Amino acid sequence: MSDTRFLDQGTPPARFARGWHCLGLAETFRDGKPHAVHAFGTKLVVWADSQGEIQVLDGYCRHMGGDLTQGEVKGDQVACPFHDWRWGGDGKCKQIPYARRVPLRARTQRYPVAIRNDQVLVWHDVEGSAPDHDILPPQLPGLAEGEYTDWVWESEHIEGSHCRELIDNVVDMAHFYYVHFAFPTSFRNVFEGHVATQFMESKGRPDKTGGYGDAELFLKSEATYYGPSYMINWLDTDYKGFNTEVVLFNCHVPTGPDSFLLQYGIVVKKPQGMDDKTANFIAQKYAEMFGSGFLQDVHIWKNKVPVQNPLLCEEDGPVYQLRRWYEQFYVDVDDIAPEMTDRFEFEVDTTKANEFWQDEVAENLRKKAEEDGDPHGPDGDGADAGSPQVMTGT
Amino acid sequence: MASFVPTDADTLEDQRLYTQARLTEVACLDCLARVGVKKNSEHHTSVQWNAEARAHCPDLARRSGGRDVHPACPRMLASIEAAARDGQIPIGAEDGY
Ligand code: FES
Ligand SMILES: [Fe+2]
Repeated sequence: MSDTRFLDQGTPPARFARGWHCLGLAETFRDGKPHAVHAFGTKLVVWADSQGEIQVLDGYCRHMGGDLTQGEVKGDQVACPFHDWRWGGDGKCKQIPYARRVPLRARTQRYPVAIRNDQVLVWHDVEGSAPDHDILPPQLPGLAEGEYTDWVWESEHIEGSHCRELIDNVVDMAHFYYVHFAFPTSFRNVFEGHVATQFMESKGRPDKTGGYGDAELFLKSEATYYGPSYMINWLDTDYKGFNTEVVLFNCHVPTGPDSFLLQYGIVVKKPQGMDDKTANFIAQKYAEMFGSGFLQDVHIWKNKVPVQNPLLCEEDGPVYQLRRWYEQFYVDVDDIAPEMTDRFEFEVDTTKANEFWQDEVAENLRKKAEEDGDPHGPDGDGADAGSPQVMTGT
Repeated sequence: MASFVPTDADTLEDQRLYTQARLTEVACLDCLARVGVKKNSEHHTSVQWNAEARAHCPDLARRSGGRDVHPACPRMLASIEAAARDGQIPIGAEDGY
């Protein structure tokens, strides 16, 4: 027998996760037009009825397969561009303008909708269950009351990776140093029920710029997945003594077996006495930084392979337990095993890692100073006051 | 039915090693909860609850279900620390698990 370790790439799941999935900010769908969102291996049509209620159906007309996303909103219904069949948000065909009557079987796939945090969430379950409103993500207190800045909302389609790669970040302590240029000084996970959380305290790396590297930035991050695809990340940042409360929403919807649409939105709690314009500018800056940090992850995913049997060291987070938790969304409700949802707590020991990393950073700074011809060594500068870096839960 | 299907039998053994091996049972000094604990080092702690233990813990029962569900029960934490001090929990990992 050989001692060589093999990568088990496994086979990806044959279904999409059960749960609430975010399709985007509700406002973007309220322009009187039908919108296309690729999701769950198909295309959805999203529109607002005359009351402004968001409706979501499968995007393809059950008559002859016309593309409803290219149709029109007529009253409360979406009308197909092919033969003008009118579909209501309840999934029923309400009218066929040229026909005596509508066939009784004219019902299409509808996706139950909930609005949370100004966003459209749809319920997806291959078993066809009723939407579970008890497990909707929480509403951010103060958001509806105007205590936060305007939204900065971005989306990015990721091809060639299963969305579990994104989930794995919840426990991946060390990648924050190598991929995102920050020191996680404290790192803890708790999984229970449909919720999985990462707590992290960190500071930026002084030897790197870009990503989340910035020695002047300290932060406390609490990132929680509510279900398989919707994360709220509370970020308390301290940049040169300036405290900001940033809330990042990181969500995705699978589009195919190895692709997903990632969306993220940022709001910042308006600091007392700051005008809205400045506050919105800060939110924009944080969004840009998160965007660039996120691209660091994407680059890794695009080039890695899936691994069913990761080999871990003592300093790693609980990858296997996280995946055990994540599995609950990919099996029938009746097949959810107790250990998938039982409470699990994990405190990562970051002490040794930080010792090694401090040494490495000191050495990098010394080399850099040598190259720069500076006999006095590093001056710890290099941070640009205009662009604080943000370290997030992903 | 598993959804992410391993293609190698050794993977199932890895899953067992990382999630179940070396768990020591620790009883709370204040309530009837018993959890599985692993310590790979002084600062590392892994705590596995089950439904029965969860139902016994009065501290966790008081949580609202919001962001306050996350902190550990301080009594259980103290019980685990006491058990570790008494040498009841082996400290140190075995080849990473
Ligand atoms: S295909 Fe939609 S109306 Fe005919
Ligand atoms: Fe990351």
